[in-house]
Amino acid sequence: MSAPPAPVAPPQPAQSVNNSFAHMNPLPPSVFTLPQTAQLEALYTIVRDKETSRGDFLFYSDRIIRLLVEEGLNHLPVVKKTVETPTGAVYEGVGFKGKICGVSILRAGEAMEAGLREVCRAVRIGKILIQRDEETAQPKLFYSKFPQDIAERYVLLLDPMLATGGSAMKAVEVLMEHGVPEERIIFINLIASPEGLRTFCGKYPRLKVVTGWIDQGLNEKAYIIPGLGDFGERRYCE
Amino acid sequence: MPDEFIQNDSSNPLAPNEVQVIPPDLPSRNLWIKPQKNTVLVSHGRPPWYDEDGVRRGDAFVIGIAGGSASGKTHVAEQIVKSLGSIPTVIILSQDSFYKFHTPEELELAHANKLDFDHPDALDIPMFASCLADLKACKQSNIPVYSFSEHQRLAETKYLYGATVIIAEGIMALHDAALRELYDLKIFVQCDSDLMLARRIKRDLEQRGRNVEGVLDQYLRFVKPSYDNFVRPTSSHADIIVPGHNNKVAIELICTHIRRQLQERSHQFRSKLAIPHRYLPSRGGSPLGKDKSEDLNLSVHPQTPQLQGIYTILRSKDTSRQDFIFFADRLATMLIEFALQHLPYTPHHIVTPVDESVFNGLKIDSKYMCGVTILRSGGTFERGFRRVINDSPVGSLLIQSDAQTGEPLLLHVQLPIYVRFRHIAEKAYVFLMDAQIGTAAAAFMSIRVLLDHGVKQDHIVFVTFLVAKGGGISVLRRAFPHVKFVCGAVDDVMKERWVEGYRGEGNPEGLPKKIWVMQPGMGQIGVFI
Repeated sequence: MSAPPAPVAPPQPAQSVNNSFAHMNPLPPSVFTLPQTAQLEALYTIVRDKETSRGDFLFYSDRIIRLLVEEGLNHLPVVKKTVETPTGAVYEGVGFKGKICGVSILRAGEAMEAGLREVCRAVRIGKILIQRDEETAQPKLFYSKFPQDIAERYVLLLDPMLATGGSAMKAVEVLMEHGVPEERIIFINLIASPEGLRTFCGKYPRLKVVTGWIDQGLNEKAYIIPGLGDFGERRYCE
Repeated sequence: MPDEFIQNDSSNPLAPNEVQVIPPDLPSRNLWIKPQKNTVLVSHGRPPWYDEDGVRRGDAFVIGIAGGSASGKTHVAEQIVKSLGSIPTVIILSQDSFYKFHTPEELELAHANKLDFDHPDALDIPMFASCLADLKACKQSNIPVYSFSEHQRLAETKYLYGATVIIAEGIMALHDAALRELYDLKIFVQCDSDLMLARRIKRDLEQRGRNVEGVLDQYLRFVKPSYDNFVRPTSSHADIIVPGHNNKVAIELICTHIRRQLQERSHQFRSKLAIPHRYLPSRGGSPLGKDKSEDLNLSVHPQTPQLQGIYTILRSKDTSRQDFIFFADRLATMLIEFALQHLPYTPHHIVTPVDESVFNGLKIDSKYMCGVTILRSGGTFERGFRRVINDSPVGSLLIQSDAQTGEPLLLHVQLPIYVRFRHIAEKAYVFLMDAQIGTAAAAFMSIRVLLDHGVKQDHIVFVTFLVAKGGGISVLRRAFPHVKFVCGAVDDVMKERWVEGYRGEGNPEGLPKKIWVMQPGMGQIGVFI
């Protein structure tokens, strides 16, 4: 391709018709999903199955994470770049622009760090520990550590499940306190609940959310249904 | 492992096929290795055996050699192989592999040397004929393995594929009409009984640790009657009768005949051979590949910003080797994930750990998935493939182009076990991987190899970084309309270019050679890996 087309929008944006979103139509404009293909559905079928062994859970959730990270990176800006090929031809391509950093919400988000690192070799990674305060029932920040120049970077916020959105919103609040603008945060998760998405996108409409699958809803314990259980437990303990 | 093959193969599926290399040039006789039976003997690689429509042209040349026990059949077979020398691939198929599976009673007799192995009924002739027919039709065959120490057919089989000349030898080689049908040339080795007996005694004493009495007893009881009743009469079916000793002249005559036959065959279809660069535009000529990208029916990965960025890095001549490997690997993973769309899926209902909720999902509807990389640049895909499909066998094909003619040559075949057995190959899905499709010569040959094995065309998914629209892809598409092609980018044209030559086989002076390159292309990917 001598003249590559202008960068196109990532596949499967919010508008496209998909049965799995029937319960949440239209999607908030800042929400992007992976292409809802048969092979993706087959991947989710494996990680959701409670009979799936831990080894398989690790392998297949890693594959979804890699797809999500690749999709998340598509929301970073690129610039036109011309290079010379070994055959002596000129190729007009694009170059990556903007520094990035990953921030994982502990503990489950940590599982996504390796996937990010596989795709971006030298990426800097920050961490946030947020837990529910038993007295107020509100999410409370326990610990955070970020790269010093985080304010100048694009942040990929990593948390596998977006249920109520409480801890994710708390994490965004902390990031913004550290000087990261809302529009430079990309929140990546495997499964989101419609309720969580609505609340989250209502509060941060300029922040992009990349999710693999939007599920039916939450149960009374605020677990996503059908979901896949407790991601951190299945990944690290079970 | 699925049950289907436990009964078929107990050998290590990853063990390489035994291939014995014959020095191609005749004068260097001192390098000569005694050819093994039931092994594909390779000299300089197998040139295309199909035309530009992807259709196989002609069968393998089959020679049947019969004659009494110890008459010198093996010697004749070996001399023919030796004299043919430059024939790319030869198999000597021995009748001994096809002794029947014995019942416990027979086994007892066999161990007491009282079982008649010289009777036609001791052999599984239908199986012999079907294996030979498969090999003749250029299909794979898994021939039985017979153990003389256990007097029994073993559970394992031996995989054979890709011979241009097949020599079937055995005392009953000309006995059965079904077998005789398959031969292009029938040879009977004639030898006097006393000479055969003398040789037999010598061999059995020296090599098999028998005593004279035992040998004579067996000879009189089985060998002699069998020869008189079954073997010698078959000489009437032979095209040529060769003496069992001092047969140099006869063998020379046979070889001249074979060479002429082979030459005639290759002349018949030489002009129609699929050498895709013939269809490419010459310098300044108009491109022949006028097909639009849509007509080629390629599955091109969505051109996301990341994908474009990766291609920019891979195409740049200033990219370091380390970066090239990293980004090629990343791209390979993306493309394999994308290629999974061509697998079949079936509904699958599961229960999640949350409130026993049911999820109506999908699962891959194929038990047999495997990968085949085309060496050497297809090796770039191997890690990406493993990252996506971790529990499937990966094989490889080594295909290189001849320095002089530009013809692709099949040098080494190491296919996954799912492809080796025809009944499984017919159900298997195979991901073929190569860095780019330019002239498409290697792609063409590799698809043909899989089809020869019984893999269905629409079960082949060819994954590649780059396709040249003006290259051999049009020929490939026309020949194999149902194969799926997955790529990340499509380049427009191919151009002729001289590259530095490497001093080596077929190019002793290290002359530069003319190759086809893509524009803008990515350079020679294999060089980086």
